[in-house]
Amino acid sequence: MQTLQLTEDEKDALQELMNVAYGNATAVVAEMLDAFATLSIPKIKIIKTTELLNHFQEREKTSYFFSSQSFMGEFSGETAFFIDQESAKNLSLHLELEDEDDLDDAILELTNVLTSSLTTKLAGEMGTQVSFAPPSITMLPLEEIQESDTFKKYSQVIVIETELKFEDQKINAEIYILTKDGSIQWLKKQLNMILEALM
Amino acid sequence: MKYLVVDDSKLARLSLIKSLKTHRDDAEVFQAVNGEEAVKIVKTEKPDIAFLDLTMPVMDGYTALPLMLEENPKLKVIVVSADIQEQAKTKVINLGAQLHVQKPINVEKMQEILEIL
Repeated sequence: MQTLQLTEDEKDALQELMNVAYGNATAVVAEMLDAFATLSIPKIKIIKTTELLNHFQEREKTSYFFSSQSFMGEFSGETAFFIDQESAKNLSLHLELEDEDDLDDAILELTNVLTSSLTTKLAGEMGTQVSFAPPSITMLPLEEIQESDTFKKYSQVIVIETELKFEDQKINAEIYILTKDGSIQWLKKQLNMILEALM
Repeated sequence: MKYLVVDDSKLARLSLIKSLKTHRDDAEVFQAVNGEEAVKIVKTEKPDIAFLDLTMPVMDGYTALPLMLEENPKLKVIVVSADIQEQAKTKVINLGAQLHVQKPINVEKMQEILEIL
């Protein structure tokens, strides 16, 4: 199957919409954690799922808490949130959590707040709305990631990758928005409508 | 009046310029895609007002802001950012920005900004 591509203008537009959405979501999470986060420039590409999985295999750290949340609507897909074990431990210290169940709960809540505010704002910027399924969490060694149901569902994905970084607390996490072909086509159409309105 | 729009995103620049031109159709507008370019334009073109993004490659807005004001202390800098955390707002105001406004800037928001200036 041929991979769909975004033009430079489409990529620029999506990056900017994502930047706005991410800024909004980060502010919500920063308030929740009472900490200051550094924003990074989102990286956007359409790739085959196998390439994404290979990218994960190249990581230095080997164990991650991985949570995902599906979103539905004209723009549909799934958000994947990765936080490495060390960052999760620092999150636990920052929140003064007492046991592992509390940490799971905190990561799920962080995922829920972050990814739902991110996706809601991104969808809103593109003139649509999305609904959400509850997030789920697993502690995942990287070699098992290929078995995750999240990735099995996609042949090619638009990957919107950004980093959540709380420097003082030493907490780093990554967020991926995964969508299928139908949503990629819809996304391209919406981006072009936005761009044409400015020309 | 001369304006400078600094953002690595073409969409962000076009959108902001469109809102600006709605209220100031005679505005002379310069564009820069990062902080380094912005500092050079402040030096050569001497804009009166700059709209400055924070998260950019090459040189970000936090680094560029004091350098732009060093070139022209009378320059009015409006930081236009997706980063709406209180700490980010305080930091840019302390660095000399007139205002910190959340992206995106539509026609109504631009009117408010121009009235404040």
